[in-house]
Amino acid sequence: MIEYNEKERRMVLKLVYYGPALSGKTTNLLQLHEKLTRQGRGELMVLDTSGDRTIYFDLLPFFLTAPSGLRIKVKAYTVPGQVCHDATRKAVLQRADGIAFIADSNPAEAQSNFASFDNLERNMSLVGLDIDTLPLVIQFNKRDLPEAICEREIRNTWEPTGIPVLMASALRGSGVTETFGALAGLVYHRVDARYGLAATHGLSCEEFVGQLTCVRDETGEGEP
Amino acid sequence: MTGSDGLIFVVGEEKSLRELLLDSDVLPLLNGVLAAGAGSARLLDQEGEELWGASAPGGRGELLAELPVLLEGEPVARLRISGEGCGRERLQACAELLRVALDTVIRNNLKRVLTTEIHTSVVNSSHQALLKINADLSLSEARYRELAENLETRVKERSAELKRAHTHILQQEKMAAIGQLAAGVAHEINNPLGFITSNLHTLQKYVSRFCAMLQFYRDHLKLDLPMETVSAEGERKWRELKLPQVMADVADLLSQSLTGAERVTRIVADLKGFSHVDDAQEMPVDLNEELERTLGVLSHALAGRAEMVRELQPLPRVTCNPQLPGQIFLNLLQNALTHAGDGVRITLASLFDGERIRISIADNGPGVPAALRGQIFEPFFTTQPVGSGTGMGLAVVYEAVLNLGGTVTVADAPGGGADFIITIPTGKD
Repeated sequence: MIEYNEKERRMVLKLVYYGPALSGKTTNLLQLHEKLTRQGRGELMVLDTSGDRTIYFDLLPFFLTAPSGLRIKVKAYTVPGQVCHDATRKAVLQRADGIAFIADSNPAEAQSNFASFDNLERNMSLVGLDIDTLPLVIQFNKRDLPEAICEREIRNTWEPTGIPVLMASALRGSGVTETFGALAGLVYHRVDARYGLAATHGLSCEEFVGQLTCVRDETGEGEP
Repeated sequence: MTGSDGLIFVVGEEKSLRELLLDSDVLPLLNGVLAAGAGSARLLDQEGEELWGASAPGGRGELLAELPVLLEGEPVARLRISGEGCGRERLQACAELLRVALDTVIRNNLKRVLTTEIHTSVVNSSHQALLKINADLSLSEARYRELAENLETRVKERSAELKRAHTHILQQEKMAAIGQLAAGVAHEINNPLGFITSNLHTLQKYVSRFCAMLQFYRDHLKLDLPMETVSAEGERKWRELKLPQVMADVADLLSQSLTGAERVTRIVADLKGFSHVDDAQEMPVDLNEELERTLGVLSHALAGRAEMVRELQPLPRVTCNPQLPGQIFLNLLQNALTHAGDGVRITLASLFDGERIRISIADNGPGVPAALRGQIFEPFFTTQPVGSGTGMGLAVVYEAVLNLGGTVTVADAPGGGADFIITIPTGKD
């Protein structure tokens, strides 16, 4: 699915934040936008919402240039989590290069997590994505909730699947860049295997992930 | 973008600045900088080609500001402002202002384009999904309609088939009843026929003795012997041939045989009358007579097994196919004999109330349970073990009564047993 134009020396990668309603997908992007340096990061595009709920999607674009001159754009999207917006979810999911599944740590939402993951599996197969090979990370958000499911239980459930699981509290900004970085690392390896990012373009995984997750230098440039 | 299956729409494809900005978005901004005193304001792409530009008539002056224009974080163009060196600070501030304005326009346009794209995509896919659902429903509706149409034809075919089979079975039942009757009648005829034959054999022997006696006299008369001798010899021969006993027997044998022959004649007449083989046309019929005829042909089955009680009153004649009453009575009487067993008492009653004839055939058997009364006239309904009864006897009764324009019901006979009541209007007369 990787969009690569050799002649124009351009590559576009699409990352999708999936998950049940109100699990904090938009909050993840808001925090990334807040925490990461403006260098190479575009503005967060929040499409019209309905009562503060995502009905279309949010988009946070990143841009970096490899030592070879290859221009790489990384676009992070959110999908609407509400069940009724399935057509929108499918449209956004198309041609994704990596997926971050944002699950809710509230035990009351356990069922929603599973239903949404089922929905992800079904929609991936509908738009022709292979869940077994596509880079996928799971973030258990809202770790700050007092009633949050214990981490051991989560790891027991999800680690046998081999999918990386990260803990986060998006509202407080913890675990957000780590999730984004983990997904970016998985995507890098996939792209590297196919297009030789390190060999041909001189871009190492550390540089790629580092540039995408470069935390804002408080004393450096701020918002214009 | 629409895929081969019409369901794929890709949202958020890369756009160029030319696709996002209109002349009417950019040129007023560039002209604004000229109005503020710049010599020229131009927007160049990364290769240095001019995308948009505006120049004042007085020339361009020196390059005062060159700022990158970003699209989704990627530098895609450069904004170049030239002018007199004296206005450097003012024009640089203007350039920065212009960059922010362009950035805002780009972001708003991009947002609008993305919203339109996702909206179109969702509407299209929903539309495609609805079209597919509609097509599926139409297909399924067509299938059901075809099924419904075929069903009607199939049901008609099956109904006709069933009706044919039903008629066929009714006919078979009539034949079976007649067969049963024939067996009884054969037995009835065989009996007198047996002793008539036996009598004839005896008479044959007797006649040969008469002949021997006559020959003896004829021979002795030729010899011209004395009358005393002939008489004595004749008397001896007479006794030798046991003619006194033979003479006494002959009268009995003849009268017995005649009685037997008369019995056969009567049976045949009954049968003929019962079957009405000669009367296919409708004719006035006395139902009491038909009842008696039926009893006549059933006499072998009734004799010694059933006690008949007759409470018959004179009835007006009914015009009908004369075979029908026999079918009704035969089947009802056979039914009573089957279910009431030996020692049954059958009460036959008939009366005419001025409008309708009412005939009742009651037995003292177990009767018909109320729960079964609705079913017993249906074809194939039987309480007997499989294979014993055809279940058609009462169906034949029902059909025949229907042909007479009447009704047949079953009630409890006084003192227990079944009472079949046939009511026939005499309106036809």
